[in-house]
Amino acid sequence: MLRLWPLRRVFNPSTIASLARANSTGAPEPVEVFVDDRPVLVEPGTTVLQACSMAGVEIPRYCYHDRLSIAGNCRMCLVEVERSPKPVASCAMPVMKGMKIKTDSPKTRLAREGVMEFLLMNHPLDCPICDQGGECDLQDQSMAFGSDRSRFTDNAFTGKRAVEDKNVGPLIKTVMTRCIHCTRCIRFASEVAGVDDLGTTGRGGDMQVGTYVEKMFNSELSGNVIDLCPVGALTSKPYAFTSRPWETRKIESIDVMDAVGSNIVVSTRTGEVMRILPRMNDDINEEWISDKTRFAYDGLKRQRLTSPMVKNAEGQLINCDWEEAFFSVAEKLLGSGGSIAGIVGGQVDAESLTAFKDLMNRLGCETLCTEEIFPMDGAGTDLRSNYLLNTGIAGVEEADVLLFVGTNPRYEAPLLNARARKSWLHNDLQVAVVGSPVDLTYDYEHLGDSTKVLEELANGTHPFSKVLNEAKRPMVVVGSSALQRSDGAAVHSAVTSIAQKARSTSGAGEDWKVLNVLQRVASQVAALDLGYEAGVGSIRKNPPNILFLLGADEGTISREDLPKDAFVIYQGHHGDQGASMADVILPGAAYTEKDGTYVNMEGRAQKTQLAVTPPGIARTDWKILRALSEILGKTLPYESLKEVRHRMTEIAPNLTRYNDVEEANYFKQSNELSKGVKSQLANEPLSPPQQNLSDFYMTDPISRASSTMAKCVQASQAESKH
Amino acid sequence: MAAVGKQVKQLMEKTGNFFKIYKQHGGVIGNFLQIYRTDELKLGNEVGQDKYGNKYYENNMYFYGRNRWVQYSPGVNMDYDGSQIPAEWHRWMHYITDKPPTEAPPVDRKWIIDHTENLSASDKAYVPFSTTKPKIESWVPPQVAKK
Amino acid sequence: MLASIARTFSRNVGQQIRQVHKSAPVASDSLFVHRDTSYNNPDTKFDFTEENLKRAESILANYPEGHKQAAVIPLLDLAQRQHGWLPLSAMNKVASYLSMPKMRVYEVATFYTMFNREPVGKYFIQICTTTPCMLGGVGSDVIVDAIKKKLNIKLGETSKDNMWTFIEVECLGACVNAPMVQINDNYYEDLTPKDMDDILDEIIKTDKLPKPGPRSGQDNRFACEPKGGLTCLTEEPKGPGFGVRSDL
Repeated sequence: MLRLWPLRRVFNPSTIASLARANSTGAPEPVEVFVDDRPVLVEPGTTVLQACSMAGVEIPRYCYHDRLSIAGNCRMCLVEVERSPKPVASCAMPVMKGMKIKTDSPKTRLAREGVMEFLLMNHPLDCPICDQGGECDLQDQSMAFGSDRSRFTDNAFTGKRAVEDKNVGPLIKTVMTRCIHCTRCIRFASEVAGVDDLGTTGRGGDMQVGTYVEKMFNSELSGNVIDLCPVGALTSKPYAFTSRPWETRKIESIDVMDAVGSNIVVSTRTGEVMRILPRMNDDINEEWISDKTRFAYDGLKRQRLTSPMVKNAEGQLINCDWEEAFFSVAEKLLGSGGSIAGIVGGQVDAESLTAFKDLMNRLGCETLCTEEIFPMDGAGTDLRSNYLLNTGIAGVEEADVLLFVGTNPRYEAPLLNARARKSWLHNDLQVAVVGSPVDLTYDYEHLGDSTKVLEELANGTHPFSKVLNEAKRPMVVVGSSALQRSDGAAVHSAVTSIAQKARSTSGAGEDWKVLNVLQRVASQVAALDLGYEAGVGSIRKNPPNILFLLGADEGTISREDLPKDAFVIYQGHHGDQGASMADVILPGAAYTEKDGTYVNMEGRAQKTQLAVTPPGIARTDWKILRALSEILGKTLPYESLKEVRHRMTEIAPNLTRYNDVEEANYFKQSNELSKGVKSQLANEPLSPPQQNLSDFYMTDPISRASSTMAKCVQASQAESKH
Repeated sequence: MAAVGKQVKQLMEKTGNFFKIYKQHGGVIGNFLQIYRTDELKLGNEVGQDKYGNKYYENNMYFYGRNRWVQYSPGVNMDYDGSQIPAEWHRWMHYITDKPPTEAPPVDRKWIIDHTENLSASDKAYVPFSTTKPKIESWVPPQVAKK
Repeated sequence: MLASIARTFSRNVGQQIRQVHKSAPVASDSLFVHRDTSYNNPDTKFDFTEENLKRAESILANYPEGHKQAAVIPLLDLAQRQHGWLPLSAMNKVASYLSMPKMRVYEVATFYTMFNREPVGKYFIQICTTTPCMLGGVGSDVIVDAIKKKLNIKLGETSKDNMWTFIEVECLGACVNAPMVQINDNYYEDLTPKDMDDILDEIIKTDKLPKPGPRSGQDNRFACEPKGGLTCLTEEPKGPGFGVRSDL
């Protein structure tokens, strides 16, 4: 295992530095180095490469990566250092006082040229058919630093090195002949993804990167090795041979496949989403994204609702125009007598949620629910801190004890899990789990999956309570699936009291938050902020004559729950469960097709941007609702995106404070209120619904429509049989 | 005097033509309709008629290029079009031959298909099918069993 | 007559045809990827014997707590000694025994050429053909020929009866007594073709390995001491305290 803390601590440069500091005066003494004769002050322990980048000089590199351990095997970052007999590998060399680094001297340039020449000796010149072409580090750097001619002569006519391609699953295409052995993918797999599937086999000129036995790269973060690979050895299988980077338009957006709100870049060409890449955001996803985020985009092109539909006399849905659909909806809504209810799904933007709520309220409907259940007993959703991941995703790195309750963060929020792994690896985070014993890619203490453990933790009789109480920065994360059980309220109140207790003993102060709820869908936090009711219980209790589904596709309410002649309106972007039970379909836009606001699990509002137009005659969701309101004679008072957002700000100001987390801190009050919760913990074990990798890929209408995701499910099922 | 006589003769001739044209097109309504449809009144001998009801005229008094013309079938009303002339008349109209099909009828072969006019810009216009895959696949609602 | 013409013709034509481009041949004796075969697959039966489990435990005891994976090379060696060669299932077994990822074990096993990932014969002859052995003594070339002739086997081949495997290796560190071969764990040095014949004859006859060491000098020396007997350090070694000041 990677985690060898005693040694690692000893060898950690910052530890050495801090030890040195502790011995002397205690103040960190910056070291002065000279990069091309410009003086730079850096922390002791930084590498030459980092010092250069602080001075604004980019050193070429292949194997070095900010978020991975240092390998130092590509030698591209060689620089001349004065009074050093040989060029030094700047990525692995710590700075020393008064070091004079020459990043553009003849010696440095010659060294780079030599390394490039060696690399190209065994690299195929197949750039025209290589998918990395145009975004290839080797291509760019051979232009910038390589020689303008080759001395490669195939004396023995044996050809260049050739390596057979590996099959590592349906997502990653490998052309191993192009591999330059930087080992970034191997380090990513073992450090970030926590899946030691990749490695180097053989030695010397025969060394190859691969899996030795034929197996799938069994990780939910596997797609990131495509971005990491500096050459075209690992490329995207679904994207293979489809477009070139210079042909695409790149639109910065937000992912909605889970509640993490990963920052993404949507590459489009001729009105088609070609691929999705991560965008750096240190507070959320660093620079990784999950495979579902990256590869489910082909679901945006299948099973789409492209035209409004109404049922004809035979009960068959047929295409119609907007006018007809609107009039049939308006007729029903106006003649309903107020027996209306609305359910919103997991991928609805805050703008539509606002417009939907305003419209329904004007029609006299107050039963507006989200699909995800949240216990309404006690403080319920009234206190914002009750349903947020209060510590924040980056806050995991500050925590020292982390307790997961009834959740599998690896599949419910892969990037939160990657953070936890990072923290476990580098900060000695101690993790414990109450729930099914799932593989989280790091070691944790499994406290059992029964609710009794929660009770014991709450009243402090469990052995782990001691650990929690002694923790300086404890964190308790409860999965939203655990709160959806019949005893959700009891689970929530138990977790609240565990958290409150841990907080009071930690001495971390009032601004350290312990209680965290891990939401699974992108729209939930915004919906709760806007005052939607969590869960469809009230609809089931009091079945309406007209049900308006806004992107609700999880089948929480079926036809059986409604009166026989109930009228169902579905507005959304995919033909899934919601559309199948609808009488009228209003085609909306998916997240790549609209300017929408999404609030992630931390309560951070972020914007998606329109990358492609909605297909067919589908329209942006809030505009559909606005148009419908006019036909109903209850015109909503906004006409532009700006005005909708203004209205959002009126209801919940945090929704338009983009990229900012609104603090919510009402734990004491919440704890007091939760004491009034009457319900008892049930006996059934806490087990999150996503247990295996095959459960991860298809969880929402977009990924369910994606054939890439279907292939992944197949492959991972086959893999787990082995 | 002679000049006056010439003018009188011309006048007589023109008046005669006027009445001939008037007669040929069939009274006030006929002339009005003709002007409405074609913006001109011409005098000529009917050379023949095709099976679609188009009538063909010739009058060599007019200069070459305007001496043969077609009177489209009343059935098409204002929607007349050059492509409504069938092939055998087309060759005569375009001076490819001087013998109209009434004099030299075309050889009838069994593989000759019926003449159709140019259907562009109509709903029967030919549209080549697309060979590219649609970028978006629409959802097909489940079929309800017919009662 | 006709045959010789045909031969000449085919030779000439053969020279005219340009070689079809092919990638560099794999220089080592085996591939660096695993392919499932009937005798080597994840389900191949392998388990440490009782005796070897005890050995494994004592090997593990050599390493501090938390550094179990340092024992991967000795354990792989143990597995190879038990099984004769190293099947995939043995690597998996070692991985699970040390609770380390399988891939990390594969990396080690493929890196070191002394791990035989394909079956070898009962007697595994490794001949050194690196420069000192090629030049020293009678030269390794004649030894190679002698073995080939004796066993009717080519380099890199295993005999059909699974008795012999014969491969060429790089320097084994006995250059002083070149040429040499290694048969299983034994070194035979300072060889002549006749010595080689004798060694192989003895193995064939007795099915046992003869005494290892050089085949020359005073009735086969122990190692690389001079052939004419020791010229120095001939007396008994002095005891401790020799030459130390008496007052200390």
